[in-house]
Amino acid sequence: MTDATANQNPAHGALTTTDARTRRRNAAEARFRLYGQIAIAIGIAALILLLTSVLSNGLSSFRQTFLFLEVTLDEKTLDKSGVRDVEVMKKVTTIGYGKLIEKSLQSAIEEHGITVEGLTDKDVSDMISKEAAALVRNKVLANPDLVGQTVPVKVLANGRIDGYLKGRVTMESAERDSNVSPNQLLLADAMRAEGLLVKSFNWGFITGADASELRPEAAGLGIAIIGSAYMMIVVLFLALPIGVAASIYLEEFAPKNRFTDLIEVNIANLAAVPSIVFGILGLAIFINVAGLPQSAPIVGGLVLTLMTLPTIIISTRAALKAVPPSIRDAALGVGASKMQSIMHHVLPLAMPGILTGTIIGLAQALGETAPLLLIGMVAFVRDFPAAPPEGFFDPAAALPVQVYNWTQRADPAFVERASGAIIVLLIFLLAMNAIAIFLRRKFERRW
Amino acid sequence: MTFGVLLLIIVAIAAAGYVLGRQRARNASGGDTRRLHSLTGYHGQSVMLFSAVPALLLLGLWLLLQPMLIENRVAGMIQPGDIPEGGSAELVMSDVRRVADGLDLVVAQGALNESDLAAMRADLTNVRSRLAEVGVAVGSEISPNVFQAAKEYRRLDTRFGTAMTIAVIAVALAGFALSLRRITPEYRARNVSEGFVLTLFIASSLVAILTTFGIVASLLVESVHFFQLYPAKDFFLSLTWNPQFRGGSDLGIWPLLWGTLYVSFVALLFAVPVGLMSAIYLSEYASKRLRSLAKPAIEILAGIPTIVYGLFALVTVGPFLRDYFAQPMGLGSSSSSVMTAGLVMGIMLIPFVSSLSDDIINAVPQSLRDGSYGLGATQSETVRQVILPAALPGIVGAILLAASRAIGETMIVVMGAGAAAKLDINPFEAMTTITVKIVSQLTGDTEFASPETLVAFALGMCLFVFTLGLNIVALYVVRKYREQYE
Amino acid sequence: MNDMRLTEKSVEANDTKISARGVQVYYGDTHAIKDVDVDIADQTVTAFIGPSGCGKSTFLRCLNRMNDTIDVCRVEGNIKLDGDDIYDKRVDPVQLRAKVGMVFQKPNPFPKSIYDNVAYGPRIHGLTRSKAELDEVVEKSLRRAALWNEVKDRLQAPGTGLSGGQQQRLCIARAVATSPEVLLMDEPCSALDPIATAQVEELIDELRSRFAVIIVTHSMQQAARVSQRTAFFHLGNLVEFGETGQIFTNPSDPRTESYITGRIG
Repeated sequence: MTDATANQNPAHGALTTTDARTRRRNAAEARFRLYGQIAIAIGIAALILLLTSVLSNGLSSFRQTFLFLEVTLDEKTLDKSGVRDVEVMKKVTTIGYGKLIEKSLQSAIEEHGITVEGLTDKDVSDMISKEAAALVRNKVLANPDLVGQTVPVKVLANGRIDGYLKGRVTMESAERDSNVSPNQLLLADAMRAEGLLVKSFNWGFITGADASELRPEAAGLGIAIIGSAYMMIVVLFLALPIGVAASIYLEEFAPKNRFTDLIEVNIANLAAVPSIVFGILGLAIFINVAGLPQSAPIVGGLVLTLMTLPTIIISTRAALKAVPPSIRDAALGVGASKMQSIMHHVLPLAMPGILTGTIIGLAQALGETAPLLLIGMVAFVRDFPAAPPEGFFDPAAALPVQVYNWTQRADPAFVERASGAIIVLLIFLLAMNAIAIFLRRKFERRW
Repeated sequence: MTFGVLLLIIVAIAAAGYVLGRQRARNASGGDTRRLHSLTGYHGQSVMLFSAVPALLLLGLWLLLQPMLIENRVAGMIQPGDIPEGGSAELVMSDVRRVADGLDLVVAQGALNESDLAAMRADLTNVRSRLAEVGVAVGSEISPNVFQAAKEYRRLDTRFGTAMTIAVIAVALAGFALSLRRITPEYRARNVSEGFVLTLFIASSLVAILTTFGIVASLLVESVHFFQLYPAKDFFLSLTWNPQFRGGSDLGIWPLLWGTLYVSFVALLFAVPVGLMSAIYLSEYASKRLRSLAKPAIEILAGIPTIVYGLFALVTVGPFLRDYFAQPMGLGSSSSSVMTAGLVMGIMLIPFVSSLSDDIINAVPQSLRDGSYGLGATQSETVRQVILPAALPGIVGAILLAASRAIGETMIVVMGAGAAAKLDINPFEAMTTITVKIVSQLTGDTEFASPETLVAFALGMCLFVFTLGLNIVALYVVRKYREQYE
Repeated sequence: MNDMRLTEKSVEANDTKISARGVQVYYGDTHAIKDVDVDIADQTVTAFIGPSGCGKSTFLRCLNRMNDTIDVCRVEGNIKLDGDDIYDKRVDPVQLRAKVGMVFQKPNPFPKSIYDNVAYGPRIHGLTRSKAELDEVVEKSLRRAALWNEVKDRLQAPGTGLSGGQQQRLCIARAVATSPEVLLMDEPCSALDPIATAQVEELIDELRSRFAVIIVTHSMQQAARVSQRTAFFHLGNLVEFGETGQIFTNPSDPRTESYITGRIG
């Protein structure tokens, strides 16, 4: 034990000069700091990249290319009898309407003096969406008096033409594409110059039904939005009461014993079970055993309810726990029963927290995809479900599943639509989270 | 009577019960409600609960059991000869259901009336074409037995439906009448209705147990079916996954397990350093301003649905990795790959790892930091040599939780990893995972009772056991860690 | 206060180790330390006493710049260690803290082995060249902290497994291991029982032969027992500073007298 070592200490040089070791240590410190900054930068860059990827791919799906045409609704083709009986008129299929639209397109091209070499009549009519005839037919059947008149109509252009206007299809890619020729694109250019071909906001994307593989331009999210909304209604009406009831029991009434322990462990584990396992549960129990219909919002809603319950229970219990015991004591002190003290005082005070947790749970459920695939929500659904409660049993799609569905199709136009659908989904999620944050800010109370 | 109308009737009876119960209590008190044991509202509430709850329970139970009962009755009408070569009884039953639904539609559209239908026979009329007219497609010709079974199915369905309506309304009315009669000034309506509500609360908390039970039961029952059709030895030991439509499939779990672990490994390799370092930076270094901006930004990543990540993998990351890494390096030309799925899943896990680590790092007491700074340690020395070792158990728990997330994740791998079951080491090769195969086997066209479909349940079972095990270990580790500093 | 030992204590005139002039400390808008001048002598135990919140701990933490880790804290004035301004831009707080060690109120051993706890400082500062040398430093430090005999057979056991008094002595050993010149002790005995307190106090007296020791304490008896000089802080002001015996027997400021006799505090 000598004191001499103390004074030879390399760390004990003059304070104002930094020795080599300290410099090395400070360099290590700076590197470590840099790693942290890089990590945060990666996280934020990933977020920005993700959002820009979705936005840049998807924003264009809200605008669509339309043809403005004057269609003469020829009585001879559409209603030979001339009595305007809708039932009789229904006999005329979309093919009849298609011919009229083609004719009006050709006359419009002539009228505007557009000439493009090497195009057959079929090439020209292929520029119109296959969906256009059905649109016009529905319009006429809704208002039979239109027959015989010449009406202005706005019909969808073919997906490839739409892709050309959006830059997805180019002259080079058209050379290799059997569905579109460069000459058609030249014609599209000319028509655009004459104002026959116009891009405008596409309500059909938000309200319309899904369309088949060959008509990406007509595919819409209407059924998926309704299906998702139905499921959210089911989840809200089941998960909120059950979750709140279970939380009140566990937090306020339950004795501490093996049985309640079992429930607690169960809830903690359910929160971490992979979502796809809930899909298997839905398929095996709700569809195979209980015989509920496939693709129905009720089944999706039930599965999502079971998935969301742990989230709601955990946040509800936290909200109940945050209400100080003095409130309970005060109510009990004036002779209220335990149930009254909870229902009249604790629950209303915990309500903002419960609602916040519920909305966050709902937002999670809204974005959930995997379990819905297993209960048949991938099916192609063309008919809108009925109004609730019967509509809960009709086949429907769901927003996230619609995204998945569209990514599985060959035509690249569906990728644009899938990204567009994600934008819609994200807007819903953003709105829900904004409400949750608003509730928390507005009603948050510190005891 | 439709379901909605029945529901409305029950609600109406319950509402009437509330109003009448209050009124009766008021009358029983002779105008002075202070004579009552309970407030009039509680009398109303007890009548309402006794009218609505038992009826609704019966309705739910009935809806659950009715299809099973009907199918049992109808199944007896199908002869072994009706089952086509290579098909199964379940397939025929689904035909029966479809024909029955079709007949409903035919009648609803007025193409046939009930008496015509009763006289109709499959061997005399072409039922298939009649159904096709109303837009119901049936795969094969309909045999007379199937047609009769379908007619019986419809008959039973209507009869059970009527019986249900009557039974449910009867139960509602009985509850209504009985509880209304019990109202006297002495009746302890508050205690009764509070007891009733508490029972409902307890029942609600049982839903969690029922769910777990349902999961285990559905996985177990169908897995047992699967292992009756396919040897367990091959499932657990075979190194090939090659399902065939016409039997003779190889259904070894190893290629799927390999893919799952490989993708999860890549994801964790990305997410753990990034998540951990950002948690450290945010809790130890960052200014308040940066923290209040960066923390929510990273947490947004946690709120984004996995389908969005899936699309990101499919449209952006996959092609990028293929064009700039895989192809120039000669490692393959597939845009879906272990790397694509792993990287995107890693992004998804960043907020998960970072928020868990953040909690854990903040649980390390300040006194340890002071002790280290007091000895002249720099901040990074303190983090690496004092805080991280102290937080290690908690961080290990967080990583295990993240791993369980990664293993159970579905959409990112469905859209990013590919569908080819391979035991390969090249991360730019498309591989597949357990979750991908669960989706593809259960959404495919194979019939339900075949091993190719049922294997999904065995896979689900493995997945469930795997993730559950990881979670239990992780929660245990984290809890032990927290106790240490409490 | 008629402890006879006070008067017997020899107070040699040692060199000044730390000199502080016009020190002001602000926590955000709060003025925590107001214009403090003090000279800390080498090889002396100096006690800081005063009521809670008087700023004595804050001032202590200025002496090895531990306040740097608190964002809102701002220090003005001039503190010199051996003539070097410790708040000079060129001074690295890491180097400073190797010279000015610190022991805290609550024993805070790292969740590592006893050996690693003591070896932590020498390792980060690179004070030893070999394992044998490190072993020697650890043993020497544990001996100085009067802990060696109790732990020599279980150096690899976790430091958190020791008793409270042992933990605090371990923390002292840890601080001593870097061979500091000044040792700051922030209420080192407040979490300990009387027996452990007596052991630590004995230790402090021994440490005096090598370091300047500054101890913040709530207990006036403790200040009287262990220190040679005492500083009394009140509401951020240094009220009185002098020989311990003089402060306790014949305070010049009425506030000091009130505190010592128990009327304020």
